[in-house]
Order: sequence, then structure tokens, then C-alpha cells
Amino acid sequence: MKVIKIEKEKWDKGVEKLNGPLRLFGPVKDGQFHNFKELDKNQQPDLNFLNTRLSPKSTVFPQSEVMFEYSLDESREDHHIMKEIDQDYSPRAVIGIRPCDAKSFLLVKRNFDTDEYKDPYWIRAFEATTFIGLACNNPCSTCFCTSADCGPFHEEGLDLLLVDAGDYYLLKVITSKGENLLKVADWETEADADTSGETSGNIIDTLKKEAEAKITSSVVTDRLKEQISLELYQAPFWEDAAFSCINCGTCTYVCPTCWCFDIQDETHGISGVRIRNWDSCMSPLFTLHGSGHNPRGTKLHRVRQRFMHKLKYYVDKYDDGIQCVGCGRCIRLCPVNIDIRKICEIMNNYEPAACACPA
Amino acid sequence: MLGYIDKIKEISERVLKEGTVEMVIGFQKGTLPMMNEPCFVKCSGDVQRLVWDSNCGINLANYLTDRKEKIAVIAKGCDSRNIVTHIIENKIKRDQLFIIGVPCNGMIDKSKIASMFEKEIIEVVEDQNNIIVKGEGFEETLKKGDVLQENCAICIHRNPVIYDELVSDMVEEQRDVDRYEDVRRIEEMEPDKKYGFFDDLLSACIRCYACRDACPLCYCPTCFVDESRPQWVGKGQDPVDIRTFHFLRAYHCAGRCTDCGACERACPMEIKVRTFTKKLEKDCLEAYGWEAGMSLDERPPLDTFRPDDPEDFIK
Amino acid sequence: MLFKNLMEHMGIEPDRVHFSWISSAESTKFVDVVNEVTAAVKALGPNKNFIIKAA
Ligand code: SF4
Ligand code: SF4
Ligand code: SF4
Ligand code: SF4
Ligand code: SF4
Repeated sequence: MKVIKIEKEKWDKGVEKLNGPLRLFGPVKDGQFHNFKELDKNQQPDLNFLNTRLSPKSTVFPQSEVMFEYSLDESREDHHIMKEIDQDYSPRAVIGIRPCDAKSFLLVKRNFDTDEYKDPYWIRAFEATTFIGLACNNPCSTCFCTSADCGPFHEEGLDLLLVDAGDYYLLKVITSKGENLLKVADWETEADADTSGETSGNIIDTLKKEAEAKITSSVVTDRLKEQISLELYQAPFWEDAAFSCINCGTCTYVCPTCWCFDIQDETHGISGVRIRNWDSCMSPLFTLHGSGHNPRGTKLHRVRQRFMHKLKYYVDKYDDGIQCVGCGRCIRLCPVNIDIRKICEIMNNYEPAACACPA
Repeated sequence: MLGYIDKIKEISERVLKEGTVEMVIGFQKGTLPMMNEPCFVKCSGDVQRLVWDSNCGINLANYLTDRKEKIAVIAKGCDSRNIVTHIIENKIKRDQLFIIGVPCNGMIDKSKIASMFEKEIIEVVEDQNNIIVKGEGFEETLKKGDVLQENCAICIHRNPVIYDELVSDMVEEQRDVDRYEDVRRIEEMEPDKKYGFFDDLLSACIRCYACRDACPLCYCPTCFVDESRPQWVGKGQDPVDIRTFHFLRAYHCAGRCTDCGACERACPMEIKVRTFTKKLEKDCLEAYGWEAGMSLDERPPLDTFRPDDPEDFIK
Repeated sequence: MLFKNLMEHMGIEPDRVHFSWISSAESTKFVDVVNEVTAAVKALGPNKNFIIKAA
């Protein structure tokens, strides 16, 4: 395991050196909160945040992405032909991504990059990106990553992990993709044991344990797999659980692991583009058929879909945990306080027979 | 206001037991500080779930749309005005409702309070006039009056305008409130400056439409912004499309908006979306002397025609 | 009126938005109004705001 020690002044300089050879994305404060933005030349990522308001999924999967363009001008030879547009897939790095959000890309990859189907836009952007994570020394009260197969120092999905050790940073090298950046940034001093003889590995371990101990929130998922899909689907608790939902889709837009999109053509005069935009299973139009029939016609159907997808269908299909990394955004931002931890518990502990709800 | 809950529970239990209604719509305690969750209660034994405090800013009229049951609903001043609007617009019938009126002292602004502290807020409790905010290593007492939602701070109809039973005596209404200082400030700007102002206002919008979905007025089966045949508005992140959504949403609320603030409260990006609706509210008041949802007997301005309308904007 | 005010409020110049009610029988009124509108809009110059740049 290679760990680099970076003095805090050398951090900014290194970022500056990376900006140019790579397109950089990092957290930027705008108003009351941080979000990931492409950094201008000389702009530094602001690492003083708990987590960003929106997830960094847009760095690879933009909310609105032009796929094709076309012309309706019949005097042109290529009229009415969809042409792929040029996108910038030059190397880029996302700096300061939290470990939960980094892991979410691996969950999303299962959808966009399969043996059978490959989403070229997502894959090209993903492959062009190096992820430099920022370990969470102070998780929020709504973070439950440790019970969602993740954690404040989790490394899956990251190429480098940056740890704030007080006076200096430690940068743990996780992949060769990460290692390649070190030279460019001139971060090359390997950390040796500090004055008290503590190795950098131990320092990281101690901070990690401290951070994990600060996580107070959790989900129970142990019985989700054994639950019978249809019984959960038909369970009476959904009426209560879905009541307050206003179907705004905020939960799915802010979620790093939600991957659904919609495709629309937009024509202006005689030229146009085909765009894909984030979509959400919370929207009634998501499943509206051309015939006018809507198989998910009520709010209850839609709320159930979101939670069944994340906490049951995904669990069954991939047999590798839930489709959630525990970032807590949907809990913090739902306008009516629908809480995935609570719903997960109800689903997990559901006993079809025992549920004798007094009418 | 904290004392209301006992009375709310008592009334709820009674109307459920007596069979006056099939369900009570109110709030239950949330899982986060400064959040309560709208809920329904169907059996009288469950009324203990109900809570009432300064975190009940969501407008419960939104949960009545097109329901068929007999319902008891807890209504603050603004909710009651939206209930009136719902009845006028045939979204629910008066005789389906048992309105539990709550004379209101205002709801607190969770984003504002969160922004006052560097660290995360872990717990918030309140007494009559104070909000006590606690987090890791700090505890601070704020005056409730200083941290009200913006709409509540300028509210002049805190008492329900329609109800079957009140949970307390009426509260004193605020007087001499300047409701439109912010609108006038924009009115005074040059066109380009106005345009830029709204660009900045909307720059963080992610088009989740929580503002629309939290509003009781927005009940169309398919919103114009979602329609794709024809596609009235582009669906991407183009600022013009975003603005078109916002100003038309507001326009669809003209003469109907009660300034309940549910839209603004719901926005995950803290966008002050009332900036649009307040202009319309001001114009409705100035041009037609109209305030929405004050009475069941008057038709709203945009669905009436008066032969003496000056119409001086039409050539 | 509310609509026109709202357009102006968000930065569209007052003279850019006009309303008129013209019957199919009022041909000369139509001509006059169109002339007035074009003159007013020409005086403002090309619109800078509220345009979707062709993709
Ligand atoms: S769960 Fe909350 S955030 Fe999600 S759609 Fe429903 S109301 Fe909106
Ligand atoms: S479901 Fe909620 S907590 Fe889980 S990853 Fe998505 S936003 Fe985060
Ligand atoms: S707008 Fe008025 S009635 Fe509504 S919550 Fe605020 S103070 Fe209460
Ligand atoms: S537009 Fe906003 S303030 Fe007006 S009624 Fe709807 S939710 Fe309330
Ligand atoms: S709730 Fe906020 S972010 Fe969502 S559409 Fe409305 S203004 Fe935009």
C-alpha cells in the first residue's frame, strides 16, 4: 500500500498542476451549500463541507445531455439523419468525492455497462475519470453508509483516497489510474513513520475507526433477500408509507444511485437535438403508455416502486446489497420527510401473517 | 401553539369515534430536526401519533385533492384559504370536510436556521416563544419571531377563515405589515437588471418540481411542463426553459395563491420561488382588491368578467 | 394584464408585449395595430433575453 504525504500548501499547488492536463470537477460553495462543478483554471475545490447538496453523479451522467443532432433542411444531404455529436471525453478527475458517492458509481455501472448492453456516453465519461476521494472525518447524523456496505473511508470506486490528518493530508493510492496522477501533481513524497513512529497506515486506520464510531444511523437489511417480492408488493403498509409523498422526485434526483432517464427531441426551426434528461419513477409520466394507460397510475404504485427497486428488486437481481450507499440525501431533502431508513425497516421486518392491522 | 395538540387529539378522537369522518389528516413527528411528516389517522386509538409544533409548514390542503372520503383536516390560516379555493374549484366538497382550525403563530424556516450554524443541527426543541437549537458542542436559543418562514413573518391571515371547530381562541393578526417590499424592489429595476435577477434566482434549479408538487393549487393530471405532445417547454436544463416553467407555474396560480410558502419550503435547492407568485398576488390585490381563499361566496378574479373592467392593456 | 405585468416583472420590456382584440371585420384596425406593434418593437431593437440559443 502506497501512501503519499502532502503538506497542505502543496495540495493547492498540485491541484493547480492537474488543472489543464485534466478537466477537474470539485465541490464549490454556491449560496448555502456545495455542489460539484467543473473548476475554472486556478479555481480550487472547497473541501470544507459535510457532503454536497446534489450527488456528483452529474460529473459522469449529466442531468441533461445532448446525444444526437439532426437537420430538417431538405436541401442538405444529411437531412433527417441523427448524428452523434462530439463530446469532450478527455481525461478528467473528480476531486473531493465522498466514499459513499464514489461507490455509487459501481452500483450505477451495473446498469450502464453490462455484457449485453453498453451505454457509450456513460462508459466513456466514467472511463475518462479519476476519482480522488475525501474521507469523512465527521459524518452527518443522516449518514448510514456503514450499514449500506460502504463507509466513511471506503475505497471501492476510488482511485485515490485523501485523508485529512490535521496538519497535512495523506493520500492513499488505490489504483494505477490514481497513481498516474501523482507525478503530474508532483505529490511524490511517500509518507514514512511520523515522529512518534506511527505509520501512515495506522494513522489512517485510527481516523477511520473514529469516523465509523461517529455514525449513529443505520438500516437493517438482513431479511430483505428472504422476503417474498409479491408479499412485500401487496403489503398494506404502503398506503401509510406513501401518504405524505408529493411525487416530486427530489429523492431520485439527489440520489447518487438513481440512474433513470428520459429521451426527448427538441427542434428549433430546422435543426434539432436529441437529449436525454434525468427522469424519476416518482413522476406519473414515467410509465405512461402511448395508449393513455398508466400501469403505475397512483402515488402508492410509484413510492412502492422506488423502494422496491432499491431495497428488493436490486437485492434479488445482483445479490450484492441494496441499491443505496447510505449518503442520506433523500432523507435530508425530501420535503415531507419520507425516510428510507424507516421504510427499509418496515420492509425488512415485514411479517405477512402477523400484520393484523386493526381496521 | 404547543398546547394545541391535546385539543387536536381530543377533537380527532371524537370525530373518528362518532363516525363523523373516516380519516384525520394531520402531522406526525418527523425523523429529522425541524421536520414533521403529513399523515392520516383512521382509528381513534392512533390519534396519539399526531403532533403540532412550528414544523408543520406543509400545506395539508394538498392532501385533499379529489379524495372521496369524509375527512377531518387540520388547517392553519393559509391551509384554510387553500381549502376554500379547493372547494370553489370543485376539488373537494365542503360537506366532506370537518375542518379543525388552528390559529397560527407562524412556522419556522428550517433552511434559515440551518444556515445560521456552522455545524450540523442535531436537535431542535421549542417553547412558547423560543427555538432551542442543539448540535455537537453547542446549544443556542433563538427567538421564534426571528426565524419564521418568510411568508409567515408577513402573514396577515393567521386565523382560519373556515372551520368546524377551533383548537384555541383566535390569535391576534399582524397589522401594518409591508407585504410587498421585495416585489417593489424588483419593479424598480431596469428590464435587463430584472432579467438578470431572475437568472440568478433560478440558477440552481434542478427541475424536480417539488415547488409545484407541494402546492395544493397544482393538481392538473398532466402539467404543461411535462406534456410532450405538444412539447410546450423544453425538458432540459436550458435557463429559458427553466424560467418558462417557473413563470407559467406562477401564472397558473394567479389569484389563487395564498402565500402559504409550501412551495418555497419544499425546494431542495432553497430557491425563493415565491418571488414569482408574490408579484401576481400584489397585482391581484391592487387591480381587483382580491385576496385568495377568503370566502366561499366570491368567484376568483380570473374566472369572472365584469363589464366595467377597464382593460386598458388591450389596444 | 396579470400576464403582461409578470412578463415585464421578469425583465421583458413593456413595449415588447402587446395585447389586442380585433374582429375579422376590423381590417383597418388590424393594420394599424400591427404597424404600431412593429414600430414599438423595432424601437427596442432585437430581443436579447428569453431566447433559446439554437442547439
Ligand atoms: S419521497 Fe419525498 S422527495 Fe421523494 S418524491 Fe416523495 S415527497 Fe418527493
Ligand atoms: S437512496 Fe437516499 S440514502 Fe440511499 S444513496 Fe440514494 S439518496 Fe443516498
Ligand atoms: S402563512 Fe400564516 S397561517 Fe400559514 S403558516 Fe404562516 S403564519 Fe401560519
Ligand atoms: S404557489 Fe406556493 S405559496 Fe402559493 S399556494 Fe402554492 S405552495 Fe402556497
Ligand atoms: S423545487 Fe426548487 S429545484 Fe425543484 S423545480 Fe422548484 S425551484 Fe426548481
